[in-house]
Amino acid sequence: MIGALVLVSTVVLAAVAVFGLVTTALNRPPDRWHRIGVGAAEVLLVVQALIATYQVLLGGVTLPEQTTFLIYLVVSVCVMPIALQFATAEPSRWGGTVIAAGAIGTLVAVLRLQGLWVPGA
Amino acid sequence: MRERDGGEVRATATGPGRALIAVYGIFALSATARGGVQIAERFGEAPLAYSLSALAGIVYILATIGLAGTGPGFRRLAWAAVVFELIGVLTVGTFTVFVPSDFPQDTVWSYYGIGYAFIPLVLPFVGLWWLRRTGRAR
Repeated sequence: MIGALVLVSTVVLAAVAVFGLVTTALNRPPDRWHRIGVGAAEVLLVVQALIATYQVLLGGVTLPEQTTFLIYLVVSVCVMPIALQFATAEPSRWGGTVIAAGAIGTLVAVLRLQGLWVPGA
Repeated sequence: MRERDGGEVRATATGPGRALIAVYGIFALSATARGGVQIAERFGEAPLAYSLSALAGIVYILATIGLAGTGPGFRRLAWAAVVFELIGVLTVGTFTVFVPSDFPQDTVWSYYGIGYAFIPLVLPFVGLWWLRRTGRAR
C-alpha cells in the first residue's frame, strides 16, 4: 500500500460520490463526466491493488489478517465498474446516486484496507 | 389492479429503486465476504455470531435479486427478504444491547448496525416503503 495513493483515491472517490449526488439533485442522467470520474478512481484502485498484492504475496510483507485484506482488495476494484454499468443501463437521474453509493462503499473498503495494513505486526 | 395482476405495477428496478438496489448489493457483498472470512478462519470463536453474519449476507443477496428482478415472483422474494432483514436487525440489535457478551460486534446487525452507520436499520424500512409504493397500481 502506498499512502499517497490511498489519499488520492479517497479524495477522488469522495468527489465522484458528491458529483453523483449533485447530478441526481439536478435531474441529470449519467454522462461522460461520470465515466471519466469512475475511470480515474478505478485506475488508482487497480494500481494500488497490484502494488499491495505484490507486496503481500511476493514482497515479503506479512499482515495479521492477510485473507481479509486480500478480499477487501478485490472488493475495492470490483465495485466501481459494476456500479457504472448499473447506473448507465437505465439513463435516469438516479444513475448518479448509484455511482455515489458505489463510490462510498469503495471508500469504506479503502479505509478498511488502510486499517488492515499493519506490516510485520 | 392488484400486485398479482402483473404489468399494472411499477418494476422495483426503476428510478430511485436502482439506488436502493445498489446499496443492497454493496451490503450483500460486504456481509457475505465478512461472514465467509469469519467462518473460514475462526468459526469456533463465535459460531452463532458468525453464522448470523453469513445468514445476513444471504438475506441481502436475496433482497438484491428480488428488487432487481421484475415480476410477481421476484416481488415476493423481495418482500420476504426485506421483512426477514427487518426482524433480523431488530432482534439481533435488541439482543446485543441487553446481552452483549453473547454477540461480539462482529455481525452487520449487532447494535442495530452501529458498525455500518445504522444503514442496516434504515435499509429495510426504505425497502418496505419502496415495495409498497411500487406495488400499487399506477
